[in-house]
Amino acid sequence: MGFFQKLFGKPADPAPSTPQPSAGPIRLFAPVTGEAVYITEVSDPTFGEKILGDGIAIKPAEGKILAPCDGTVEQIFETGHAVTLTSAEGAEILIHVGLDTVELKGKHYTIRAHDGDKVKRGDLLIEFDPTAIAAEGYDIITPIVICNSDDYSTIKPHAGQSVAAGDLILELEK
Amino acid sequence: MQSFTHVIQDPMGLHARPAGMLAKAAIAWPCSITVTTSAGTGDAKRLMSIMRLAAKAGNELTVTCDGDREEEAAAAIKAFLKENL
Repeated sequence: MGFFQKLFGKPADPAPSTPQPSAGPIRLFAPVTGEAVYITEVSDPTFGEKILGDGIAIKPAEGKILAPCDGTVEQIFETGHAVTLTSAEGAEILIHVGLDTVELKGKHYTIRAHDGDKVKRGDLLIEFDPTAIAAEGYDIITPIVICNSDDYSTIKPHAGQSVAAGDLILELEK
Repeated sequence: MQSFTHVIQDPMGLHARPAGMLAKAAIAWPCSITVTTSAGTGDAKRLMSIMRLAAKAGNELTVTCDGDREEEAAAAIKAFLKENL
């Protein structure tokens, strides 16, 4: 990454950020408090059958999505229902808040970050109202997907437990 | 090189699910496959790259296949888009 790019935080073009070499597994932390479950338990086959990639899912108990690691916000959908980030080590992460929630067109979601933002683990990205979303008939389960799963030999989910935002949920090894 | 265009019919646009399905369809081919919109060009084999285009209903996608089996790939992606997007 060039000096000016580092200085100003935003590359001039939307080229993917350069992955940093790393030692040991990449660790990702819960973006939201709730119940961590295996991604295969997600009823939507796009996630449950890992079409978008491997990962984990959380049934949120609160309405805040935090950055799961240090990295760059690639895209916050203007509907607020999903965000993609690239971790400092190059993992491509999709956090999709609820199933089919693209249909809400932004209702019950508030965007708290922007495309290209450099974020630290724990920074607020999205606020949402889980009760209102569920009341409209949507499943609020939130898959956290590694879009470049093929780049890793092991993706280890820490599922089957209650997690607080910031708890370890995924470990990725090259 | 093979190129064609497709206008997005899905009212929700090129959101996560169709983007993931497109990446899965594209990765099966040996040639390079790119998707271009007014927002830029993405690698059709990479989900994040496609989603970054944030293409909406009514937007025109230009798909370009270049390399081994480009004709077959273009036909397959064209059929995929017609059916799914």
